[in-house]
Amino acid sequence: MGEVRADRGAAGQLSEAAESELLQQCEEQFARLEKLQNEIILCEPDICENHQEQSVNRLAATDAELKLWMSTEPSSLAANAEILLHAGKDEMLKLCSELEMVVSCCEAKRDKLRETKELEQKWLEEKKQVLLAANDHIERLRVEKEKYSEHNILLDTKAKIKKMKTYQEQLMESLGDILGKHVPPPQEESTASKKKKNIPLEISEDLVSLNTILEVLMDKVMNTPHDPYVTIDHTFWPPYVEMLLRYGIAVRHQENNFKIRLETFF
Amino acid sequence: MSLLKPFSKLPDLNTANILLVENEEQFQQNLADTLVEETAVTVNVRLAKSLPLPMENDESRPRIDLVVFIINLTSDKSFESAKASLKYLDPGYFLGKVCFVATNARHASVRTGCLDALRQLAALLHCPLLFAEDQSPEGATSSARRLLTILKVASGLVPNTTALYLSSLTRCTMPPDIDQPSFD
Repeated sequence: MGEVRADRGAAGQLSEAAESELLQQCEEQFARLEKLQNEIILCEPDICENHQEQSVNRLAATDAELKLWMSTEPSSLAANAEILLHAGKDEMLKLCSELEMVVSCCEAKRDKLRETKELEQKWLEEKKQVLLAANDHIERLRVEKEKYSEHNILLDTKAKIKKMKTYQEQLMESLGDILGKHVPPPQEESTASKKKKNIPLEISEDLVSLNTILEVLMDKVMNTPHDPYVTIDHTFWPPYVEMLLRYGIAVRHQENNFKIRLETFF
Repeated sequence: MSLLKPFSKLPDLNTANILLVENEEQFQQNLADTLVEETAVTVNVRLAKSLPLPMENDESRPRIDLVVFIINLTSDKSFESAKASLKYLDPGYFLGKVCFVATNARHASVRTGCLDALRQLAALLHCPLLFAEDQSPEGATSSARRLLTILKVASGLVPNTTALYLSSLTRCTMPPDIDQPSFD
């Protein structure tokens, strides 16, 4: 139906014979076209409003076309070699120009891709460097932190120890002052009180001072915390022991009366 | 009622005739200007607001090879008018000689169901549905190029291809979920 062959535009500088053959062919095709046209006009088309029918219509048309394709034998445009040469040349030129377009398009695309690739690579390189730098920084920070923390702890502890030492010295000094001022060594006073109360008490010569008692008690607590008790022997003057017990500075052993220890102040 | 028929007249040599139907008559002029710039074949462009075409120039009118309905999706009237015009086409046209072009599909004021309705229509008629950008000259050029490809086939200028064959490949297919209620 309505076939218009492309060979009509192929005539360039053809010989007369070829030209006449082409014209002849065109005439034939046109005559066939007219005949078909008349047939179409003559046959009354059935008007269908329904879409369903249209689908059927379409199916029939497609089917017919398929059959036509199946039955068509491939044939050359014309027998004349000259015409074939011209037509082939035209087709080739057309194809060439189309392929050239494809090539240029592909090349443009390739160049673009290459450019993109380079950009991406550059970007990747930059990112890698940033990553390296960041890792470096992290490592450095970590090391620095560790070093500084150890150092700091050391310094802190040293300062604390120093402070504690001075505080202890201070305490010891004030304790010594108070004891020296208010609790003199037992000998003379004890004899005086003995005379007043008329209590026959032997004052041994090797009685020690309150300072010494306290020192013994403290040393015992510090050195053997599991066993802080000190046995009361003859060097401990009983009034001193009594005083220590009464004011809650020392406590007696629960089972052994002759043992005392320093009260737990902490 | 006069039907427009695809094979009622003899074709001219190396000529393709296209009919642009648009109710608003905005895009068709631009498109026509671009279409006639084609040099390989003679392209005749006929413009119409709607079908049927007037009877008086029936004699001088060439055979129409391709009917293009341009539908502006922002206006309901555009779609309704095109739908009404379809009645005046011979069923033979629906074998690959009708094409829909939708414009303004991305416009904010497009009614929700409009595009689906158009899709459904195109799928029902087995016609291709193209989308065009009608504001810029580039949009007109690219639409014209696509229409020319179809036109050349529809007017029989491409050897070994027929309009029916092409339309079987390019017809609009309905998305499977078009009948489902949308949840958005």
